[in-house]
Amino acid sequence: MTTVYKLWEMIERCGSGPHMEEDDFLPRRFTPTLKKIIKKYEIRCDPQTPVPDDADLADRVWQAGWELFREVGVYNTDSHRMIMVSDDEIREALYHAKGAYWVGEGKDAVFWKHRQVEDPDPPLCILSPDITCDENLHYSMCLAYLREPLLDGFCAPILEESMGQLISSGGPTEINGCIQHIYNLRLAARQLGRPGTFLVAVGTAEHDSGQIAVSNNEWGVRTTDARLVGGLTEFKTADTLLNRAVHYAQYGCYTGHLTGPIYGGWCGGSEGIAVTLVAYSLMGLVVHGAVFNQHFPFHLNYGSNTTRELLWPIAVAGQALSRNSKLLYTSNGFANAGPMTEMLFYETACHALVSTVTGWHLWEMASTRNKHRNRATPLEARLGAEVGHAVARQGMTLSEANEITLKLLSKYEDLAATAPLGYEYHKCYDVARAVPTDEHEDLYQRVKNKLFGMGIEFPY
Amino acid sequence: MSLEQLDKLVENGEKEQSEELAHRLLAEGVAPLEILDTLTGTMQRVGQQFANLDIFLPEVMMAGEALMAVVDITRPLMLESSRTADVRGKVVLGVVRGDLHEIGKNIVKLMLEINGFEVQDLGYDVDPLDFIKAAEDMGADFIGASSLMTTTMPRQKEIIQFLKDKGLRNKYKVIIGGAPASQEWADMIGADLYCEDANAAPEQMAALLKQKRAKI
Repeated sequence: MTTVYKLWEMIERCGSGPHMEEDDFLPRRFTPTLKKIIKKYEIRCDPQTPVPDDADLADRVWQAGWELFREVGVYNTDSHRMIMVSDDEIREALYHAKGAYWVGEGKDAVFWKHRQVEDPDPPLCILSPDITCDENLHYSMCLAYLREPLLDGFCAPILEESMGQLISSGGPTEINGCIQHIYNLRLAARQLGRPGTFLVAVGTAEHDSGQIAVSNNEWGVRTTDARLVGGLTEFKTADTLLNRAVHYAQYGCYTGHLTGPIYGGWCGGSEGIAVTLVAYSLMGLVVHGAVFNQHFPFHLNYGSNTTRELLWPIAVAGQALSRNSKLLYTSNGFANAGPMTEMLFYETACHALVSTVTGWHLWEMASTRNKHRNRATPLEARLGAEVGHAVARQGMTLSEANEITLKLLSKYEDLAATAPLGYEYHKCYDVARAVPTDEHEDLYQRVKNKLFGMGIEFPY
Repeated sequence: MSLEQLDKLVENGEKEQSEELAHRLLAEGVAPLEILDTLTGTMQRVGQQFANLDIFLPEVMMAGEALMAVVDITRPLMLESSRTADVRGKVVLGVVRGDLHEIGKNIVKLMLEINGFEVQDLGYDVDPLDFIKAAEDMGADFIGASSLMTTTMPRQKEIIQFLKDKGLRNKYKVIIGGAPASQEWADMIGADLYCEDANAAPEQMAALLKQKRAKI
C-alpha cells in the first residue's frame, strides 16, 4: 500500500466515535484493558532472559497487541472521542501494507524491507543524535553524521535557536528554524556527495505548521524523505498530529509513526511495554497512515531503554512484529551515558544487538537520555550500525544474542542511575572538519575490540 | 476494623472499601485527623515504592484516588470541629502552550496532592497568561509549568516575564520541569525551582515556601 489506509474514514471517526472524558481514558480504559489482556495471554517477563527464544510468547504478544488496539481504540484529545477499528479493518490494512519501499533518491536510494527474526540481511540504519544542539554546531553535526558509511537514513539534531532567537513552537521562529534545519541537511548531504540520502525531517518542528512549511522537493523535505507523526502517551492523538498525517499523505512523503511507551507509566512493566509496542504499530498503520513505526520505549526514572526492563519488551515485540506482519519498524536507542564514555558504547552495542537479532531496523543513538544539549556524536551511532551489520551477517541466533546481552549488561546496568554525562560534541569532534578526535576514535576502537572478543564478528 | 486495615485498603487502591471503612471508623469515634495521619504514612510508603518502580503509575494513581475519597469524607467533619489538616501550599500546575505531553505533570500533581498540597490542574497547552490568572484566582503560592519539548520551553520563560511585567514576580514561586528542562535553564530564566524528580517536588516546594514565609 502506498497510500494511507482509509484516511478520511479515520478522520471522520474523530467526530463520530464513542465519547469519553480524557481523564478517564487511561485509568479507566487503557490500563485495565491492558492488564486484562496480559493476564489472558499469559505474558510474563523473565528478567534473566532479556532476549527470549520463545516463538509462542512472541505470537501471544502479537495477539495481545492486536486485541489492545481493537479494544481501546485511539483517543482524540480535541474531539474527546475514540477512533475505533474492527478486526476486519486491521486485517485489511495489514494485507495491503507493503513490506518494502525504496526510500531516498537516485543513486543514494536504499531498499527498506521487512526483516525476519535472526535475519542475515543487515538492518536499515537510520542515524540520529536525537538531541538539541547549538545553532553554530548544527551544520557540523549534519556533516559528521552524513560522513558515516553505514548511514542509510539520517535524522538531524534539533535546533533550539535560529538566527540567535529562541525557537518557540507554533510561532514564526519555528518556521525559521525548520528552514534552517533542512537547508543545513540538504547542503551537508550534497557537499558529501550523497545528495539523495534518505532524510527523516525535520525534528525542529514540534508544531504542524513547522513541518508543513518545509515540504518542498526542490529545497526542503522531499517526497522521497520521511516525516514523523507522534502518538501521545498513551494511545492518544490530537488534531495537530492528524494535521501532519493528512499533510504527509497528501504531499506524498513517507510517514513514520513515533511512539514512546513508558515503563512504569500507564503501560506498567515490561509485559505492558511489549504489548503496547505491537498495538502502537497497528495504530500507526491504521490511524496515522504510517509506512513505518519508530519506537522508543523508555524507563520512567532513567529515560533510557538499554536496561533489561526495556530490552526484554524490545526483543519480544520485535519478534512478534516480525513473525506476524510485513511491517517496517525501527528501534530507537536511548542510552543513559554520554559521548566519549565506554558506557555509552556498550549501551549502544547492546541495544543494536538485541534489536537486530529480533527483527528490528535500527535508529541509533540518543545519549544522555535524550536530555543534554550537544551530547551526542556519530561515533556511537556508527558502532550501533556496525554491531547491527555484524550480528546479522554472522547469523547470530537469539540464544547467542541473549548470552552476549547478559555480558554487556554486566558492564553498565548497575550504573544506569549514575551514568556519566560524557562530553559535548565539540569536545569529541573537530567541528570544522566534522571528524572525531583521536581520543574519541581510540576509545571507540578499544570498545570495538572488546566487543569482538565477546563474539561480535565485525565485517571490518 | 482498624486504621491498619484502612492503610492497606488505600495502599491497594480499593477506593470503595476505603470509603466504607472510613465511615465506620468515624462512626466508632476515631478522630478524622488520626485517619489522615495514618494515610499520610501510607502515601509516603506508596510514593517510595513508586520512586523505586516497585509499583507503577496506575497503582499509585489508584492509591491516590482512594486517599482523596477518604479525605473528602473527613474534610466536613474537620471543618465542623474547626480543625483542618494543614494545606502545605497552593499550586497551579499545567503544561505550557504548544505542548500536549502531560504525563510528567500528572505525576507531579499526584505527588503534591498526596503530600498535602492543593493543586489546580490547568491541563496542557496552557497560555502563559492563563497560569497567572489562575494563580491570582486561587491565591496560589506556586506556579508550576511543565514542558516536554525544547521548542515549548520558552513559554516557561514567558510566564516569568509576564509576572515581572505585572509586578507580581515576588508573589509566586515559579517551578519548572519536564524532560528538556534543567537547573541551567531554570537559572537562565529566573525560575525559583527546577523540579527534576516528581517524588522530591513536595519537600523541595515546602522548603521553598518556608523560606518565603520566613522572609515575610
